[in-house]
Amino acid sequence: MDKVILNNGIETIIKTNKNTPRTAIAFYIRFNKMNISKSGMYYLLASLMFQGTKNRTGEELAIELNENAIEIYFTVKSDYLVFKILCLNEDVERALEIFQDMLENTTFDSVEKEAQKIKGELEAEMDSSRKQAQDEFYRTIYKNHYYSYGMKEAIEQIGSITKQELFEIFYQLKFVTAKNIFVVSDKSKEDILPLIEKHLASLSVKDTEYRENKNEAITQDRISTVVKEDANQAQIYMGWHAPYMENFREFISFMLMNNVLGSSGLSSRLFLELREKKGLAYTVRSVYETFRLGSCFYVYIATEPKNIKTAIDGFKTEIDKIMTELISDEELESAKNRAIGRKQFAYETNMSEAITRGLYQYLGFDLNYDEKIENMIKDITKEDIMNTAKKYLSGHNALCVLAPSEYLKEANLI
Amino acid sequence: MKNIKKSLVNYPFLEKPIEIYERECGHKIIYAYKKGSLINISSWVKTGSINENDENNGISHFLEHLMFKGTSKHKAGYFDKTLESKGAIVNAATWKDYTFYYVTIPKGSDDKNFKEMLELHADMMLDPVIPPEEIGEPFDLNEPVTTKRERHVVIEEIRMRKDQPWTKVYNSVNANLYTSHPYKRDVIGNEQIISTIKREDILDYYKKFYTPNNITTVLVGDFNPEEVIPQIAKEFDFRGRLNTPKIEYEIDSQHVGGKYIEQYSNVNTGYTMFGYLGVKASDVRKTIILGMICSILGYGLSARLYQELIEKMPECIFNEVSAYYYSFRDGGNIFISANFKPELKDIALEKLKEQIQKFCTEGITERELKKVKKRLKVDIASSSETVSDIADTIGEFMTVYENLDCIEEYINTIDMITAEEIKLVAQQYLNVDNSVISVLMPEEYKNKG
Repeated sequence: MDKVILNNGIETIIKTNKNTPRTAIAFYIRFNKMNISKSGMYYLLASLMFQGTKNRTGEELAIELNENAIEIYFTVKSDYLVFKILCLNEDVERALEIFQDMLENTTFDSVEKEAQKIKGELEAEMDSSRKQAQDEFYRTIYKNHYYSYGMKEAIEQIGSITKQELFEIFYQLKFVTAKNIFVVSDKSKEDILPLIEKHLASLSVKDTEYRENKNEAITQDRISTVVKEDANQAQIYMGWHAPYMENFREFISFMLMNNVLGSSGLSSRLFLELREKKGLAYTVRSVYETFRLGSCFYVYIATEPKNIKTAIDGFKTEIDKIMTELISDEELESAKNRAIGRKQFAYETNMSEAITRGLYQYLGFDLNYDEKIENMIKDITKEDIMNTAKKYLSGHNALCVLAPSEYLKEANLI
Repeated sequence: MKNIKKSLVNYPFLEKPIEIYERECGHKIIYAYKKGSLINISSWVKTGSINENDENNGISHFLEHLMFKGTSKHKAGYFDKTLESKGAIVNAATWKDYTFYYVTIPKGSDDKNFKEMLELHADMMLDPVIPPEEIGEPFDLNEPVTTKRERHVVIEEIRMRKDQPWTKVYNSVNANLYTSHPYKRDVIGNEQIISTIKREDILDYYKKFYTPNNITTVLVGDFNPEEVIPQIAKEFDFRGRLNTPKIEYEIDSQHVGGKYIEQYSNVNTGYTMFGYLGVKASDVRKTIILGMICSILGYGLSARLYQELIEKMPECIFNEVSAYYYSFRDGGNIFISANFKPELKDIALEKLKEQIQKFCTEGITERELKKVKKRLKVDIASSSETVSDIADTIGEFMTVYENLDCIEEYINTIDMITAEEIKLVAQQYLNVDNSVISVLMPEEYKNKG
């Protein structure tokens, strides 16, 4: 891996994977939702970049990308926007030239129409019970923090976003210093770097101030419900705030705890206890999500509505157990092997490697971060896991349940 | 290697040809070389809903769940626990023509993981005990049940699918595309059958279809085939198990005059899917052409449907539009689907019909032809990037297309297809008057006519 700082200060890392037909580039831009007034702005902004530039109409752009099998797409997360570029090795320069044009020359000519399109897409997505419950869960666990802004807010607010407002955040995004690029390609640094410099080093950058608010502690249990009268399954999310990645030992301990409890496929505790032994669900799992300003951990199940109480009690039993009893040596060993073994899946394609390593780079970790993770995994004890679980899971939690009203009443949730 | 017939097939974008080994018993083993730290083994059984009827619909998928419930050597859970503790991803899936089981795992040092993976995978495939206590007692859906086991897990999976709008729309198109062929049934079955099906029926079904000539085992990774193929053959000891005779089903023809089905649910938006019958997978050239038609209509932001119905529309009628082609042994399906503003349903359906009609009468441009050819080639390149994608492609070809010969000629076949040929195939299979149309609308539209 070669790390280079471009003339404009953007950190770029290039990794060469020989004999791979496609080049992958991940371009991370840090933003801050505190800087904006309406939900959905970054998504709208990124979508509009595909709707035309001073040099290409939206249709021309789409045709040029598709004709050359160049994929440019984006993901908006709570703290950052990442553009992903994937193309055949011979098309890297063309892909970068198009991307540069999108970054520098977007016209924002169809704000209202694009906003309507996105609103429609979000409304369709909210037809899913799981998505609807998850949206409400984030609102509950991140109450009063901008991480709580979800699809519901975007549906309400996206239609009122103006071209002027978009220009303002576009200007901020273009000039923020916090950008990083990760390239994985069959090509060498000598081939790739001149292309990156030609097309992305011309972007101006300046220091940017970020306004941030810390995540508020959960001081009493937060319960929210969504009534869906014809739901065949209840959707249950129960969550806690969790360690930040910067607290490295706690982060790795918690990751292993999550592995034992519910993130590890067919052999986790939640899977065995709630699915295999009790037959309560097809889908049951735990998830540990790390964000810059507030990580969260949650357990999730989709089950017949009359099982709500049994499922919540099942969660509580497993959470209590992991906080109060040491896991077995076998479980510890397995969790460590799984965590180390699964890392290889993230590097199987150039794109997944660019996204994963680019995220580490975005978070400020150095090139040997992988090695550090592996060493820390090996160092974690059963006591670390129990103590971290106790520290973060013994407090109040956030619960969100979607179900028909009669079952929410039966479970004393409404 | 004695009594094993070997042949080679060139697979685009892989460094070495694929090696096919056919054993005397009929079991086929396929090895694909892929450098890297991950390896994948999968076994593909040529059965799925294609071999089901109204009495046992869902049995293939239920059996897939029960295959993980232990063998004579290892009790339930041992397989998952042992392999996942080494970083493996293990799972299985059931579709119309096939059921497959796979393990993807880091290779580890000295091939230790490979040996353990192979032993456990072969053991699971050949000696499932399907314990009664893991299946759970048959039960009445209207009565309370105290002990819940795998039957209930599958029933929860059925419930989950009932809450998915697209699944509702797809199931009604699928059921109405056919009159007699078993493809008309939902692969997962229904609660009534799953709650009452007997263990003996499941075991009989296993014995009938999990036979040497019905199973292909695919290994992808960096190995010496001279060493590993005999090991696989040794572990897959079928002990004289009888082979499955080929079963032929009557092929349905396209409905003349079409069908329209409308359902209602607690949704905010409208959903529709237009369905048409395609060709048998063995007609590779037409299968590729039908895939091209769907790609031109529905792939990416420059696709016909996206540009014409979303980008160029003065008002927002559609939220999403797409088109895709599913290949099946006895005949594929063309689907054109859209999510739309429910108050504009009539206009939405009319606009979709117009686009289909336009495609059939005007055909495509040379520019579109060039674009779709490149897209298909890149799709092949992308399906050779991971060990699991390579295994999936090989397994699907072996079960749906029933051989790998066409992979070798795939790119040449793509290159030979003309715009005129695409237009003719579209006219033959995309007759708008014969569309099976399924629509899902919000409840409040139920009494609005």
